[in-house]
Amino acid sequence: MADTVTTAGVGAAEPRSPRRARPMSTSMLPRRSKLSVLVFLVPPLLLYGVAVLLPILQSLFLSVFRWDGITDMVFVGFDNYVKMLTRDDVFWTAFGNALGYLAICLVLQLGGALIVASLLTALPRARELVKTVYLLPAIISTVAIAILFQRIYSLEPVGLLNQILAWVGLENLQNAWLSDVNTVLAAVSIPEGWRFTGLYMLIIYAALIAVPKELEEAARLDGASWWQVFWRIRFPYIRPVWITTTIMATTFALRGFDIPYLLTNGGPGQASELLTTYMYKTAFVHTDYGYASAISVFIVVECLVAVGIIFLLLRRRDDS
Amino acid sequence: MTAPVLTPAVSPAQSEPPQPPRSARPAGRRIRSLSPRLRVQRTILTVTIVLIVIVQVYPLVWLFLTSFRTASDFAGGNAFALPSEWTLDNYARAFATGNLWLNIVNSLIVTLGASVLIVVAGMMAAYALEVLGFRFSGLVKALFLLGIIVPVQIALVPLFIDYSQIGLLDTHMSMIIPLAAFALPMSIYLFSSFYEYIPREMYEAASIDGAGPYRIFGQITFPLSANTIITVVLVNSIFIWNDFIFANTFVLSDGLKTIPLGLQNYIGAMGNTDWTATFAAVCVTVTPLLLVFLVLNKAMINGLESGATKG
Repeated sequence: MADTVTTAGVGAAEPRSPRRARPMSTSMLPRRSKLSVLVFLVPPLLLYGVAVLLPILQSLFLSVFRWDGITDMVFVGFDNYVKMLTRDDVFWTAFGNALGYLAICLVLQLGGALIVASLLTALPRARELVKTVYLLPAIISTVAIAILFQRIYSLEPVGLLNQILAWVGLENLQNAWLSDVNTVLAAVSIPEGWRFTGLYMLIIYAALIAVPKELEEAARLDGASWWQVFWRIRFPYIRPVWITTTIMATTFALRGFDIPYLLTNGGPGQASELLTTYMYKTAFVHTDYGYASAISVFIVVECLVAVGIIFLLLRRRDDS
Repeated sequence: MTAPVLTPAVSPAQSEPPQPPRSARPAGRRIRSLSPRLRVQRTILTVTIVLIVIVQVYPLVWLFLTSFRTASDFAGGNAFALPSEWTLDNYARAFATGNLWLNIVNSLIVTLGASVLIVVAGMMAAYALEVLGFRFSGLVKALFLLGIIVPVQIALVPLFIDYSQIGLLDTHMSMIIPLAAFALPMSIYLFSSFYEYIPREMYEAASIDGAGPYRIFGQITFPLSANTIITVVLVNSIFIWNDFIFANTFVLSDGLKTIPLGLQNYIGAMGNTDWTATFAAVCVTVTPLLLVFLVLNKAMINGLESGATKG
């Protein structure tokens, strides 16, 4: 009972129901033993520790060694990081590609989701049907999607994309999309964007229909344009959800791996190599565990930085 | 694509301002005078959405259509046309070539195992954090939240090394453990935000009757969690059933391959020759989840929405 206010940690930051007027105790139970806390907490913490926390520490540790898994480990200090940041062109190519992949995914997933969700709020009927159908790609495995898109992009036999181009009279644009260095990055990003746009549409739609109708009506009566209604009323209302979806989409895209790995394995050359596929190859093809760990540490840092930037950007706009 | 999509949503709002003068008229006439324009707007909107949905879903339709095509039809025919003759041969070849049944069984084992772990561990942690409470619960919560952001790739090399040292490589557990652990934070979060709303009075009443923390968990908290359990299982099953990266890294033998690996095998085994059979195999593996999804789509959609808006 002595430790009263300590729950005001991470979770307590959000507004709680004012239900509990009495002084907050950390426990909802009048009596509980220390042992019971341990009994409930230790098994999940163990699982999480073994498979998530420990590997993070191990990666940090391995990243300062050179090791192929067989011979003795050699301590190299920060050499892996120095090599990665200053001498490795492939790393920077992969980093640039990862940013391109991220950009395409965000436009398709968040932009597409926002537009479709806005349209859907105005649709008189069949909204549930559209939601269900729109979400279908999200439940299909990445391997199935890779197989599917390999055929969609294919030139021989003519796949869906090239067939459409032929129909609209653009035969000269027909292309082997996955073997062209200029198009391959977009070609491996689009399936990922396509796959999850339904998920984000669903989330944004749920937020949009929760915006009080009276506010929108009042603004319209005051002569606000569609854009003003959207930007001044709807969007501020869904901002918390927008931040969540942006973080989800960004971190998912930064860890994107399956589809590029399966469709092109980073090729041709390094044209569709992402940091994740590069790290995977470094670890499991070249068995350079130390260097691969340095790259994976970089990927984690990249995700944390991205989340920080999103918070900064979206928060600041809130203040102004 | 975005430009034409925007217009129908813009127009209804822009047509609003000139309305007020008209509102002096009788209500019936106002509705009638507006309706043609509204009807046009609605039609444009509906057509736009139908077009978007078709673009979104056609690849899947194509997948199923192709699985019934003959190989020559696929190679030479029009990709958009219906199959010139419908055939089930592709399915026969798909089952004859691969280990589809074995793959499905392996996927079931992994999905079931990981789901049980996620639910049990998630409930326990949420009970300790939210109901029992302790001094550093905020810190522990933050530690778990970290797992939502951290990419799974960080665990691949360390787990591969650890597994090979303790002989866990190439087992079902090697997939179940990381899949469950990386899904745990979201599960804890969902259970916690539900447990927060179980009234304290219920626990107090049970305590007065002499129930300790274990009995209270078994008799109050756990039974009340049923809906959250369904949400957690549904949402996570999709990701676990479809997992590729852990399976691809930790599983080597054919006997343990899950569906995604089995499908990948298909392309390898058949080269570029038998696409229609590969499509049939894809259809076979996609269908179970598709059926579950279509039957339970309401619960699943609610789950996905709450999972994201709360997280």
